[in-house]
Amino acid sequence: MISRLLLLFVLLAARQVQAQSCSTQLTGHITDQDTREPLAGASILLQEIDWQVTTDSSGDFIFNNLCTGRYTLIVSHVSCGTIQQKIRIEKNRHVDVLMPHARSTLSEVVVAARTGINNTGFKKEAGRRKLEEARGFSISEALAKINGVTLLQTGSAIAKPVIHGLHGNRLLTINNGVRQEGQQWGNEHAPEIDAFIADRLTIIKGVDELRYGSDAIGGVILVQPKPLQYQPGHLAEINTGYFTNNRQYVASAVWEQQFQNLPSFAYRLQGTFKKGANATTPHYRLNNTASEEYNFSATAGWRRRQFNTELFYSRFNTETGIFIGSHTGNLSDLQKAVESDRPDATFLGQNTYTIGRPYQHVTHHLAKSRTQFIIHDHRFTIQLAGQFNNRKEYDIVRSSNNKQPQLNLTISTLSEDISWEHPVWKNWQGTAGVSAMQQDNAYAGRYFIPNYTANTWGAYALEKWVRHKWEMQAGLRYDHKRISTNRLITGSGTFDNFDFSYNTFAAAFNTAFKPVTGWKLNAAISLSERAPHVNELLSNGIHHGTATYEEGDITLHAEQAINLLLGLSWHNEQHTVSAEADLYHNTINDFIYRQPEPGEPVLTIAGAFPKIRYRQTDAALTGLDVSVVIKPRKQWEWVSRASLLRARNRLAGDWLTQMPADRVSKEIVYHFKNIKRLSDPYVSVEWQHVFKQTRIPGENNGKQDYKAPPAAWSLVNLNTAVTLCITRQLPVTFNLGVKNLLNKAYRDYLNSMRYFADETGRNIYLRLTVPVNGSITHANKNKQ
Amino acid sequence: MKKQFLHLSILTLLTTAVFTACKKEKGESNEEEVITTMQLTLTPHDGSTPLVYKFEDADGPGGAAPSIDQIVLASSETYDVALQLLNKTVNPAEDITEEIEEEADAHRFYFEPAAGSNITISGLDKDGNGVDLGVNSTWTTGAAATGSITITLRHYPAEPPNKAAGDAVNSQKSGTDIEATFTTKIQ
Repeated sequence: MISRLLLLFVLLAARQVQAQSCSTQLTGHITDQDTREPLAGASILLQEIDWQVTTDSSGDFIFNNLCTGRYTLIVSHVSCGTIQQKIRIEKNRHVDVLMPHARSTLSEVVVAARTGINNTGFKKEAGRRKLEEARGFSISEALAKINGVTLLQTGSAIAKPVIHGLHGNRLLTINNGVRQEGQQWGNEHAPEIDAFIADRLTIIKGVDELRYGSDAIGGVILVQPKPLQYQPGHLAEINTGYFTNNRQYVASAVWEQQFQNLPSFAYRLQGTFKKGANATTPHYRLNNTASEEYNFSATAGWRRRQFNTELFYSRFNTETGIFIGSHTGNLSDLQKAVESDRPDATFLGQNTYTIGRPYQHVTHHLAKSRTQFIIHDHRFTIQLAGQFNNRKEYDIVRSSNNKQPQLNLTISTLSEDISWEHPVWKNWQGTAGVSAMQQDNAYAGRYFIPNYTANTWGAYALEKWVRHKWEMQAGLRYDHKRISTNRLITGSGTFDNFDFSYNTFAAAFNTAFKPVTGWKLNAAISLSERAPHVNELLSNGIHHGTATYEEGDITLHAEQAINLLLGLSWHNEQHTVSAEADLYHNTINDFIYRQPEPGEPVLTIAGAFPKIRYRQTDAALTGLDVSVVIKPRKQWEWVSRASLLRARNRLAGDWLTQMPADRVSKEIVYHFKNIKRLSDPYVSVEWQHVFKQTRIPGENNGKQDYKAPPAAWSLVNLNTAVTLCITRQLPVTFNLGVKNLLNKAYRDYLNSMRYFADETGRNIYLRLTVPVNGSITHANKNKQ
Repeated sequence: MKKQFLHLSILTLLTTAVFTACKKEKGESNEEEVITTMQLTLTPHDGSTPLVYKFEDADGPGGAAPSIDQIVLASSETYDVALQLLNKTVNPAEDITEEIEEEADAHRFYFEPAAGSNITISGLDKDGNGVDLGVNSTWTTGAAATGSITITLRHYPAEPPNKAAGDAVNSQKSGTDIEATFTTKIQ
């Protein structure tokens, strides 16, 4: 997000050029966007004056005695494509250029002026290579490529990201600048976002999260599409893939265009289709685990020097079957299923794309408009967004004539954000803004959460100070939220109405210190508060997945979290060894969790269900993420990662349930030499090991689980890719890989399917990326 | 620029107004899967008045606790028992028994008297494949005793259901729709 804003900033912060002087200096640093390695030997051309230089071994370049004015900067490296960007030079300046990895296909560049607002707090990205490796899987799986992110799953097709042990409403997902508002409270509610929309996935913690809300206790996930290309011509990319395990095929295409005679306008269309059959474990195929997804998005932009506006619409649509053997009617059914090592043969063996009950159907529409204008170096942004989310759950029903969903939730959200960024003044830069949100939720069918309307408004201010080796950033935010709920009581004709009002406050401070080249030290402290969600206040009903009777509590108050972060990163001079460590300690007072009440079973006509109540305790989550990258030789790369977490219920003096187990992974990558038209071939082998979760709550305070955590497991994954330059403008990337190469049968603690069945077995995939670059600049160049 | 700003502010205000003006009280659509009542009609072979006993949870799961009749029967008697399932949250009450009978090959009632209750169950009616369904059954009582009986309705979700005569009440092939326990008294 920030780098995107900066790109716009650099492009748009067009000041009046005064008398032209020819003594300015342009320096820059070219980095591989993916590996973060400096790119030596890249050529940089200023097209207008036909002046070309080459980066030195540390990726730096310099142009001296330049005249002020607008230039076209063309960066190229030994790869298939070339990248170009307009740049305005008024005084000495420095640009950092992130070159997409050679495997990248659409020309793109992110120019981040060194004075830009980068997060000095915690920031982790799934780079382009990682995103490419996750193509065809869900957006959560792409996020899980980031160290410290794990998955909370319901079967193989439904996955939620977990950051440092927290998930659901404790994370904010910002989809193309808009706070995603769907039904994120349930464990089986996956994010409603097309993974192919994301050009970059970033997780941030610290001051910058205050732009989006005061309730990001676990962090913010930024899903950023590629910025529109204001460059005459068209660009297209087609991605396809086939996955053997569930015979899944996926196709995604993007088209963008700018007309030569309409230089202010650009647009993009994008769509994805994905369909998979029932998934198979090493020993059996699970009936009714097929899924289908089709998504569409359109972006249109209008850009002038001091004004730009963008319209965006996206539609996400998915239908996902839920393993039929996981359906249970009451507690004794669930216990019977849990005791068995293998599901009953009735629920196994069908190899079909058909989805039957139980399944879920989710639709999410997002429309937004974002307008920026610059007045005397003050930048204003106005963003309006509307979201509509419909979630239908189709349970197993008595009569096959019944075509109705049993749970039908419709949530509509409008949001308005206005922000102001003041010009850089001495070492200070900053932004402030106000935001408002109106929301309406309605349910039909089975009661789980009530109808409600919610109104939120908030304001924030962030300021950053940068000088030499130091960076400091601080921010404040306040939000006010009103919720008014209503529910018709079954059989009585009367309504239950409850109104709630919460004031939440957040503050954060980050600092970064670079004592010497190669070293960077980060420290951050942030205070955030999260108002309880409606499901925590007012849920009341049987949760079929867990065979429990869940009851909300209207007296819950907001959670308060104090998150301490300490980060250290280092790389040697040659960039052949780099290491990163992040230590966090998140203290959450009044942490809302589900507490079993063993003495109060709820008797229903389907038998007795254990009661679970939403309660509050004080929790503390402490963890460490470490990664080390070693490149002993030019072609070898060895990546090691480890992620540890300790999550305590401090009032009960016990562990918290459902927390990710410790894990380690190693990856060895070998890059072959480029041979003629074959560029960037590589093979990687990854070994992942997840320890057994031994830190689980004791049973003396109510049983929190039906089955002991599964044993530790290790997986081996293989990936290989090569780009074939059919022509200079047509580099086709082939990617062949295997997940779970050894076809290991295992169960994961954070997958609720572990009660019933094994995880999916070996999955071989072949993916193809075909970009079509119809850039007019290129066309002209070819003619010359 | 000013004009655009004005437009945006008006749009914002309007949308806010529309939302806050939304009518707050929405009706809950009927929760179709609710079974509030299991009713047993026991017709004695001696020709005397049929007996009616109920397990009833008028407000569905949660809320008020269900009311459960004690089944009081005469000793050494034979009863024809008809089982009826009702949803009384709607008016008139919906008879769910019909749904069960329509899909008899995917449903099955089990009757399990506790040891010493002196009730014997036989003569369960069958589905189209000749496997027990149990909407109608015959109960024979012995000497005076107190005890209990658990009536379970199992539902086979798979397609085809694969319901078989030998399936135990806790077969993994089926799930529980109803599990109700009555106390019994034979006098």
